[in-house]
Amino acid sequence: MQNEQSFTQEESLKLITEMIGKAKRSYVTKGIAAIVWGTIIVTCSIISWLQYTYKLHIRFNIWWLTVFALLPQIYFGIKEKQQKKFTSHNETAIRFVWIAFGICIFITSFYTGNHSDYQTTTLFMMLYGIPTFVTGGVTGFKPMIIGGILCWLIAVISIYTSFGANLLLMAACGLFAWFIPGIILWGRYKQQQQVNV
Amino acid sequence: MFKELDPILHAQLRLGAMSLLVAVKEAEFTFIKEKTGATAGNLSVQLNKLKEVGYIDITKRFKDNYPQTLCKITDKGIIAFDDYVKALQSYTHT
Repeated sequence: MQNEQSFTQEESLKLITEMIGKAKRSYVTKGIAAIVWGTIIVTCSIISWLQYTYKLHIRFNIWWLTVFALLPQIYFGIKEKQQKKFTSHNETAIRFVWIAFGICIFITSFYTGNHSDYQTTTLFMMLYGIPTFVTGGVTGFKPMIIGGILCWLIAVISIYTSFGANLLLMAACGLFAWFIPGIILWGRYKQQQQVNV
Repeated sequence: MFKELDPILHAQLRLGAMSLLVAVKEAEFTFIKEKTGATAGNLSVQLNKLKEVGYIDITKRFKDNYPQTLCKITDKGIIAFDDYVKALQSYTHT
Protein backbone atom coordinates (compact mmCIF):
# COMPACT_ATOMS: atom_id res chain seq x y z
CA MET A 1 0.00 0.00 0.00
CA GLN A 2 1.43 3.34 -1.09
CA ASN A 3 0.61 6.58 0.65
CA GLU A 4 0.70 9.74 -1.39
CA GLN A 5 -1.04 8.09 -4.33
CA SER A 6 -4.25 10.01 -5.12
CA PHE A 7 -7.49 8.10 -4.83
CA THR A 8 -11.19 8.78 -5.19
CA GLN A 9 -13.86 9.04 -2.49
CA GLU A 10 -15.28 5.66 -3.54
CA GLU A 11 -11.84 4.10 -3.23
CA SER A 12 -11.49 5.64 0.24
CA LEU A 13 -14.74 4.07 1.41
CA LYS A 14 -13.73 0.75 -0.15
CA LEU A 15 -10.38 0.89 1.64
CA ILE A 16 -12.02 1.65 5.01
CA THR A 17 -14.46 -1.26 4.59
CA GLU A 18 -11.66 -3.59 3.52
CA MET A 19 -9.40 -2.70 6.46
CA ILE A 20 -12.17 -2.93 9.07
CA GLY A 21 -13.10 -6.32 7.58
CA LYS A 22 -9.46 -7.47 7.75
CA ALA A 23 -9.23 -6.45 11.41
CA LYS A 24 -12.45 -8.28 12.28
CA ARG A 25 -11.41 -11.47 10.48
CA SER A 26 -8.12 -11.45 12.38
CA TYR A 27 -9.96 -12.18 15.60
CA VAL A 28 -9.83 -15.97 15.57
CA THR A 29 -9.71 -17.83 18.86
CA LYS A 30 -8.65 -21.47 19.02
CA GLY A 31 -11.50 -22.48 21.32
CA ILE A 32 -9.21 -24.62 23.48
CA ALA A 33 -10.46 -23.03 26.71
CA ALA A 34 -14.07 -23.82 25.76
CA ILE A 35 -13.18 -27.43 24.82
CA VAL A 36 -11.27 -28.01 28.09
CA TRP A 37 -13.99 -26.44 30.24
CA GLY A 38 -16.77 -28.28 28.38
CA THR A 39 -14.96 -31.61 28.75
CA ILE A 40 -14.48 -31.05 32.49
CA ILE A 41 -18.14 -30.15 33.10
CA VAL A 42 -19.42 -33.11 31.04
CA THR A 43 -16.98 -35.52 32.75
CA CYS A 44 -17.73 -34.30 36.28
CA SER A 45 -21.48 -34.38 35.68
CA ILE A 46 -21.47 -37.92 34.26
CA ILE A 47 -19.19 -39.24 37.02
CA SER A 48 -21.43 -37.57 39.63
CA TRP A 49 -24.45 -39.18 37.99
CA LEU A 50 -22.74 -42.61 38.03
CA GLN A 51 -21.84 -42.11 41.70
CA TYR A 52 -25.39 -41.05 42.57
CA THR A 53 -27.17 -43.73 40.53
CA TYR A 54 -24.91 -46.73 41.20
CA LYS A 55 -23.76 -45.66 44.68
CA LEU A 56 -20.14 -45.61 43.54
CA HIS A 57 -17.62 -44.13 45.88
CA ILE A 58 -14.65 -41.99 44.87
CA ARG A 59 -12.23 -40.84 47.55
CA PHE A 60 -12.42 -37.20 46.48
CA ASN A 61 -15.00 -34.74 45.23
CA ILE A 62 -14.87 -35.02 41.44
CA TRP A 63 -15.83 -31.34 41.07
CA TRP A 64 -12.35 -30.39 42.30
CA LEU A 65 -11.35 -31.14 38.70
CA THR A 66 -12.90 -27.79 37.76
CA VAL A 67 -10.29 -26.07 39.95
CA PHE A 68 -7.47 -28.03 38.27
CA ALA A 69 -8.97 -27.16 34.89
CA LEU A 70 -8.31 -23.50 35.63
CA LEU A 71 -4.54 -24.07 35.35
CA PRO A 72 -4.52 -25.07 31.65
CA GLN A 73 -7.16 -22.36 31.05
CA ILE A 74 -4.80 -19.72 32.44
CA TYR A 75 -1.82 -21.23 30.56
CA PHE A 76 -3.61 -21.30 27.18
CA GLY A 77 -5.09 -17.86 27.83
CA ILE A 78 -1.68 -16.29 28.44
CA LYS A 79 -0.15 -18.14 25.46
CA GLU A 80 -2.93 -17.00 23.13
CA LYS A 81 -2.60 -13.40 24.36
CA GLN A 82 1.17 -13.46 23.77
CA GLN A 83 0.72 -14.65 20.19
CA LYS A 84 -1.86 -12.02 19.35
CA LYS A 85 -0.75 -8.83 17.66
CA PHE A 86 -3.77 -6.76 18.61
CA THR A 87 -6.44 -6.36 21.27
CA SER A 88 -10.06 -6.09 20.21
CA HIS A 89 -12.62 -3.79 21.84
CA ASN A 90 -14.72 -6.77 22.92
CA GLU A 91 -11.99 -8.62 24.80
CA THR A 92 -12.08 -6.46 27.92
CA ALA A 93 -15.87 -6.77 28.21
CA ILE A 94 -15.73 -10.53 27.68
CA ARG A 95 -12.91 -10.94 30.23
CA PHE A 96 -14.93 -9.12 32.89
CA VAL A 97 -18.02 -11.21 32.19
CA TRP A 98 -16.01 -14.42 32.67
CA ILE A 99 -14.39 -13.09 35.87
CA ALA A 100 -17.88 -12.28 37.17
CA PHE A 101 -19.00 -15.78 36.18
CA GLY A 102 -16.05 -17.35 38.04
CA ILE A 103 -16.88 -15.37 41.19
CA CYS A 104 -20.58 -16.32 40.98
CA ILE A 105 -19.71 -20.01 40.50
CA PHE A 106 -17.42 -19.84 43.55
CA ILE A 107 -20.14 -18.21 45.70
CA THR A 108 -22.76 -20.69 44.46
CA SER A 109 -20.43 -23.62 45.24
CA PHE A 110 -19.93 -22.21 48.73
CA TYR A 111 -23.71 -21.83 49.11
CA THR A 112 -24.28 -25.40 47.91
CA GLY A 113 -21.75 -26.67 50.43
CA ASN A 114 -23.70 -25.04 53.24
CA HIS A 115 -27.22 -25.88 51.98
CA SER A 116 -26.85 -29.46 50.76
CA ASP A 117 -30.58 -30.07 51.22
CA TYR A 118 -31.42 -27.77 48.33
CA GLN A 119 -31.27 -28.77 44.73
CA THR A 120 -28.80 -26.21 43.51
CA THR A 121 -27.92 -27.71 40.11
CA THR A 122 -30.51 -25.38 38.54
CA LEU A 123 -28.57 -22.37 39.81
CA PHE A 124 -25.36 -23.64 38.20
CA MET A 125 -27.06 -24.28 34.86
CA MET A 126 -28.60 -20.80 34.95
CA LEU A 127 -25.15 -19.31 35.60
CA TYR A 128 -23.54 -21.39 32.79
CA GLY A 129 -25.83 -19.67 30.30
CA ILE A 130 -24.81 -16.10 31.17
CA PRO A 131 -21.16 -15.80 30.02
CA THR A 132 -21.79 -18.07 27.05
CA PHE A 133 -24.76 -16.01 25.86
CA VAL A 134 -22.93 -12.68 26.38
CA THR A 135 -19.73 -13.89 24.66
CA GLY A 136 -21.76 -15.22 21.74
CA GLY A 137 -23.72 -11.98 21.46
CA VAL A 138 -20.70 -9.67 21.66
CA THR A 139 -18.64 -11.66 19.17
CA GLY A 140 -21.57 -12.58 16.94
CA PHE A 141 -20.85 -16.29 17.40
CA LYS A 142 -24.24 -18.00 17.09
CA PRO A 143 -23.32 -21.44 18.55
CA MET A 144 -22.58 -19.71 21.88
CA ILE A 145 -25.81 -17.68 21.80
CA ILE A 146 -27.73 -20.91 21.20
CA GLY A 147 -25.63 -22.68 23.88
CA GLY A 148 -26.52 -19.98 26.43
CA ILE A 149 -30.23 -20.15 25.62
CA LEU A 150 -30.17 -23.97 25.83
CA CYS A 151 -28.56 -23.74 29.29
CA TRP A 152 -31.46 -21.60 30.49
CA LEU A 153 -34.09 -23.90 28.93
CA ILE A 154 -32.40 -26.88 30.57
CA ALA A 155 -32.27 -24.95 33.86
CA VAL A 156 -36.06 -24.50 33.67
CA ILE A 157 -36.55 -28.23 32.92
CA SER A 158 -34.29 -29.12 35.86
CA ILE A 159 -36.73 -27.47 38.29
CA TYR A 160 -39.15 -30.34 37.58
CA THR A 161 -36.70 -33.26 37.36
CA SER A 162 -34.89 -35.40 39.93
CA PHE A 163 -31.38 -34.70 41.18
CA GLY A 164 -30.00 -37.67 39.20
CA ALA A 165 -31.54 -36.41 35.97
CA ASN A 166 -30.26 -32.91 36.72
CA LEU A 167 -26.69 -34.20 36.73
CA LEU A 168 -27.19 -35.49 33.19
CA LEU A 169 -28.82 -32.18 32.24
CA MET A 170 -25.74 -30.44 33.58
CA ALA A 171 -23.59 -32.58 31.28
CA ALA A 172 -25.82 -31.46 28.41
CA CYS A 173 -25.20 -27.82 29.42
CA GLY A 174 -21.43 -28.39 29.32
CA LEU A 175 -21.83 -29.91 25.87
CA PHE A 176 -24.01 -27.13 24.41
CA ALA A 177 -22.42 -24.14 26.15
CA TRP A 178 -18.74 -24.99 25.69
CA PHE A 179 -17.74 -28.28 24.11
CA ILE A 180 -19.65 -27.94 20.82
CA PRO A 181 -18.92 -24.19 20.35
CA GLY A 182 -15.26 -24.94 21.24
CA ILE A 183 -15.04 -27.64 18.56
CA ILE A 184 -16.58 -25.25 16.00
CA LEU A 185 -14.05 -22.53 16.97
CA TRP A 186 -11.18 -25.02 16.67
CA GLY A 187 -12.44 -26.04 13.21
CA ARG A 188 -12.60 -22.39 12.14
CA TYR A 189 -9.09 -21.75 13.47
CA LYS A 190 -7.72 -24.71 11.51
CA GLN A 191 -9.53 -23.54 8.39
CA GLN A 192 -8.09 -20.03 8.81
CA GLN A 193 -4.60 -21.48 9.20
CA GLN A 194 -4.96 -23.43 5.97
CA VAL A 195 -6.01 -20.23 4.17
CA ASN A 196 -2.96 -18.40 5.54
CA VAL A 197 -0.50 -21.13 4.44
CA MET B 1 -22.23 21.45 -0.10
CA PHE B 2 -19.15 19.25 -0.06
CA LYS B 3 -17.21 19.00 3.15
CA GLU B 4 -13.47 19.28 2.90
CA LEU B 5 -11.60 16.02 3.29
CA ASP B 6 -8.99 15.91 6.06
CA PRO B 7 -5.66 15.84 4.13
CA ILE B 8 -4.03 13.84 6.92
CA LEU B 9 -6.55 11.03 6.47
CA HIS B 10 -6.99 11.33 2.71
CA ALA B 11 -3.83 9.36 2.02
CA GLN B 12 -4.00 5.64 1.32
CA LEU B 13 -1.63 4.22 3.91
CA ARG B 14 -2.63 6.57 6.73
CA LEU B 15 -6.31 5.92 6.06
CA GLY B 16 -5.67 2.16 5.95
CA ALA B 17 -3.85 2.26 9.29
CA MET B 18 -6.54 4.43 10.88
CA SER B 19 -9.30 2.10 9.62
CA LEU B 20 -7.52 -0.84 11.25
CA LEU B 21 -7.04 1.05 14.50
CA VAL B 22 -10.69 2.10 14.62
CA ALA B 23 -11.68 -1.57 14.54
CA VAL B 24 -9.38 -2.68 17.39
CA LYS B 25 -8.50 -1.43 20.86
CA GLU B 26 -4.76 -1.40 20.11
CA ALA B 27 -2.48 -3.10 17.61
CA GLU B 28 1.18 -3.92 17.15
CA PHE B 29 3.15 -2.21 14.40
CA THR B 30 3.70 -5.62 12.76
CA PHE B 31 -0.07 -6.21 12.61
CA ILE B 32 -0.65 -2.94 10.73
CA LYS B 33 2.32 -3.67 8.46
CA GLU B 34 0.98 -7.15 7.68
CA LYS B 35 -2.58 -5.96 6.94
CA THR B 36 -1.62 -2.91 4.87
CA GLY B 37 1.24 -4.61 3.04
CA ALA B 38 3.37 -1.48 3.49
CA THR B 39 7.12 -1.40 4.04
CA ALA B 40 8.30 -0.85 7.62
CA GLY B 41 10.01 2.45 6.74
CA ASN B 42 7.03 3.95 4.93
CA LEU B 43 4.56 2.81 7.59
CA SER B 44 6.74 4.20 10.35
CA VAL B 45 6.82 7.63 8.68
CA GLN B 46 3.03 7.69 8.17
CA LEU B 47 2.26 6.52 11.70
CA ASN B 48 4.48 9.25 13.07
CA LYS B 49 2.51 11.81 11.03
CA LEU B 50 -0.70 10.50 12.60
CA LYS B 51 0.92 10.72 16.01
CA GLU B 52 2.10 14.31 15.42
CA VAL B 53 -1.48 15.47 14.79
CA GLY B 54 -2.69 13.54 17.84
CA TYR B 55 -4.78 10.95 15.98
CA ILE B 56 -2.91 7.97 17.45
CA ASP B 57 -0.74 7.11 20.44
CA ILE B 58 2.42 5.09 19.92
CA THR B 59 3.91 3.17 22.83
CA LYS B 60 7.23 1.37 22.65
CA ARG B 61 8.02 -1.44 25.08
CA PHE B 62 9.74 -4.83 25.31
CA LYS B 63 7.90 -8.13 24.95
CA ASP B 64 9.90 -11.35 25.48
CA ASN B 65 13.13 -9.36 25.05
CA TYR B 66 12.00 -8.01 21.67
CA PRO B 67 11.00 -4.39 21.05
CA GLN B 68 7.28 -3.97 20.52
CA THR B 69 5.49 -0.92 19.11
CA LEU B 70 1.85 -0.55 20.06
CA CYS B 71 -0.51 1.84 18.30
CA LYS B 72 -3.83 3.05 19.60
CA ILE B 73 -6.33 5.51 18.15
CA THR B 74 -7.04 8.56 20.34
CA ASP B 75 -10.40 10.26 20.97
CA LYS B 76 -9.27 13.04 18.64
CA GLY B 77 -8.46 10.39 16.02
CA ILE B 78 -11.91 8.81 16.36
CA ILE B 79 -13.61 12.19 15.88
CA ALA B 80 -11.39 12.98 12.87
CA PHE B 81 -12.11 9.56 11.34
CA ASP B 82 -15.85 9.99 11.91
CA ASP B 83 -15.80 13.44 10.30
CA TYR B 84 -13.79 12.07 7.38
CA VAL B 85 -16.33 9.28 6.76
CA LYS B 86 -19.22 11.79 6.96
CA ALA B 87 -17.41 14.04 4.48
CA LEU B 88 -16.88 11.07 2.15
CA GLN B 89 -20.56 10.22 2.35
CA SER B 90 -21.51 13.78 1.40
CA TYR B 91 -19.57 13.22 -1.85
CA THR B 92 -20.91 9.79 -2.63
CA HIS B 93 -24.55 10.63 -1.84
CA THR B 94 -24.70 13.41 -4.46
